Amino acid sequence: MRINDLLMGLVMALLGAITIWASKDFPPLARQPYGAGTFPTIIGAFLVGLGLLLSLRGWQQRGALFLWQGQVTLSRTLICLLAVIAAVAGYVLLTPLLGFPLVAPLMLTLLIGWLSDGRWGMAVIVAIVASAVVWSVFALLLHVPLDLGILEEVIY
Amino acid sequence: MAELHAALGMVFAWDVLAVILGASLFGLLIGAIPGLTATMATALLVPVTFFMEPLPAISAIVAATAMAIVAGDIPGALLRIPGTPASAAYTEEAYLMGRKGKIGQALGVNLVCSVVGGLIGVAILAFFAPLVADFALRFTSDEYFWLALLGLSCAVLVSGADPLKGAISMLIGLLISMVGMDSVSGQIRFTFGISDLLSGISILPVLIGLFAVAELLRRMPEIGHTHFPPPPPVEKPFSGVGSLMWQYKGGIARSGVLGTLIGALPGAGADIASWISYALSRKLSRTPEKYGTGHPEGLVAASSANNAALSGAYIPALVFGIPGDTITAIIIGVLMMKGITPGPDVFTSNATLVNAIFIVFILANLLLLPLGLLAIRGARHILAVPSSVLYPLILLFCIVGAFAANNSLLDVWLMLGLGLLAYFLVENDFPIGPMILAVILGPVVESNFMRSMIKANGELLVLFERPIAAMLGGLALLVWLAIIVSSVRSAWQTRASATSS
Repeated sequence: MRINDLLMGLVMALLGAITIWASKDFPPLARQPYGAGTFPTIIGAFLVGLGLLLSLRGWQQRGALFLWQGQVTLSRTLICLLAVIAAVAGYVLLTPLLGFPLVAPLMLTLLIGWLSDGRWGMAVIVAIVASAVVWSVFALLLHVPLDLGILEEVIY
Repeated sequence: MAELHAALGMVFAWDVLAVILGASLFGLLIGAIPGLTATMATALLVPVTFFMEPLPAISAIVAATAMAIVAGDIPGALLRIPGTPASAAYTEEAYLMGRKGKIGQALGVNLVCSVVGGLIGVAILAFFAPLVADFALRFTSDEYFWLALLGLSCAVLVSGADPLKGAISMLIGLLISMVGMDSVSGQIRFTFGISDLLSGISILPVLIGLFAVAELLRRMPEIGHTHFPPPPPVEKPFSGVGSLMWQYKGGIARSGVLGTLIGALPGAGADIASWISYALSRKLSRTPEKYGTGHPEGLVAASSANNAALSGAYIPALVFGIPGDTITAIIIGVLMMKGITPGPDVFTSNATLVNAIFIVFILANLLLLPLGLLAIRGARHILAVPSSVLYPLILLFCIVGAFAANNSLLDVWLMLGLGLLAYFLVENDFPIGPMILAVILGPVVESNFMRSMIKANGELLVLFERPIAAMLGGLALLVWLAIIVSSVRSAWQTRASATSS
């Protein structure tokens, strides 16, 4: 999705202004004009300046504020974005409760089944095998503490 | 000699060799699949390298990236779709050679030239890096401040057609690097009360978010909408390659050297090296009219240059800790996670490791020949891997990888947030390269500036007192002048075109 430079520039300038405001209370080092706030303030000032320059350029172009271009439809792209967000959010929120061995195969099955237009049998098999491989590599080999969730009570 | 012997012993250990082989096969898979880049391969490898010793970790990244760049040539020649951006410059040429019935020769030229280019790059790296490091031992915080700033400035200048957007991308990266406890004053900044952010935003979720998740978000909607035709069979990949190499030996040598030099420039990676080498080769050719018709001369030059650039990027990375491209930015991040700060001191304190890295480069480049041949032979199978299966698997790997560094689910949220940010920025022509370089170089710029100011009681002009610092400072200011002029000119042109239309 193309957003007009006028808007992008204003967002960047706003980000810069917030950075300057949030840096104003950082104290300087003893007997120094510089401190923890120096760099964030400089970065913020540049963001304001360059953001406004970008806005000016966008305003001169006078294009649409939002423009969709490309072979894939906007709705398809938005659905894919939401699917990835939902998958990551689902993993983060559900793994502590249900555990990796349940959440990962579920997430993979849903994503693969949906993306492959309903080949659910293949999706389930791939999801289980892939989750087992990831578990073996990260949890067993590299000792990453992937959550077991409720399975912890079942196993131990 | 004893150091070289020790380095050989380090490299020819079974675990390092196994890592090189495994990472090469991983790079082969990622590089050969259209749309997945060498940087993405590196970002996906980092979570695993996190648990390795420094040498196997770097070996994995060196081997995977070299292989990914070579494998990226395969879909370019077979389907006219570059596997990685580094192959884009000569995709048309290789594809048209295939249409003339020389597909095997095109891929053979790609492969052998990549190996030769890579070896030229390694030779230059191994020869010059210790010399530059010896010189850099005299550097103080003044020089390092300017050098890091120069690195950031060059990254903005060469990042794309729009330096203004490159500069904004760099500033966002700098802002990300400011989160956490300030290393000089101990002041806590922008943590919003989250204790996990006290040590700053971990490099792992940043890398995975910017280079893997953002790429997934871009590619996933295309599933079912882009269909690759079955690739043609590849026969006799090395037939006639030797004579072509001999015919264009000057071009190979020139592109190898040029690629290494371009790779050493901060921000300019393998893709820029191959475009410039291709253009220069055309300019110097006796038959420029044949370019774009399936002529091997440009292919030879650009294939040599992109792999040479990979090695070249390690010169500033190892000697100064200034990344030459996104991949070396990741390498620096990996080294820092392992408590090794790249810089001239590494050449004396860790000389064996540095020599071992050079040997790994040679080994990884030589390994390209058999594995590249394997990739060419197995291209039909690799290209048949359905994206609908591959992308969800990559997403799971991203999530677990981001979690693995600190065992923190906050890192997974950060990965997602940064991935979405990078997606929207790239969709609007903001380059991501300056952002990752800024994340790495932000603390370097700030800490060296503060050290210089503490030494000089806040006197700014001291940054120009030492001759090399003054020269680097002058160069950095010149680059910024060029960025400003370019941005103003672009704004002026936009205004002129808006007025005329």
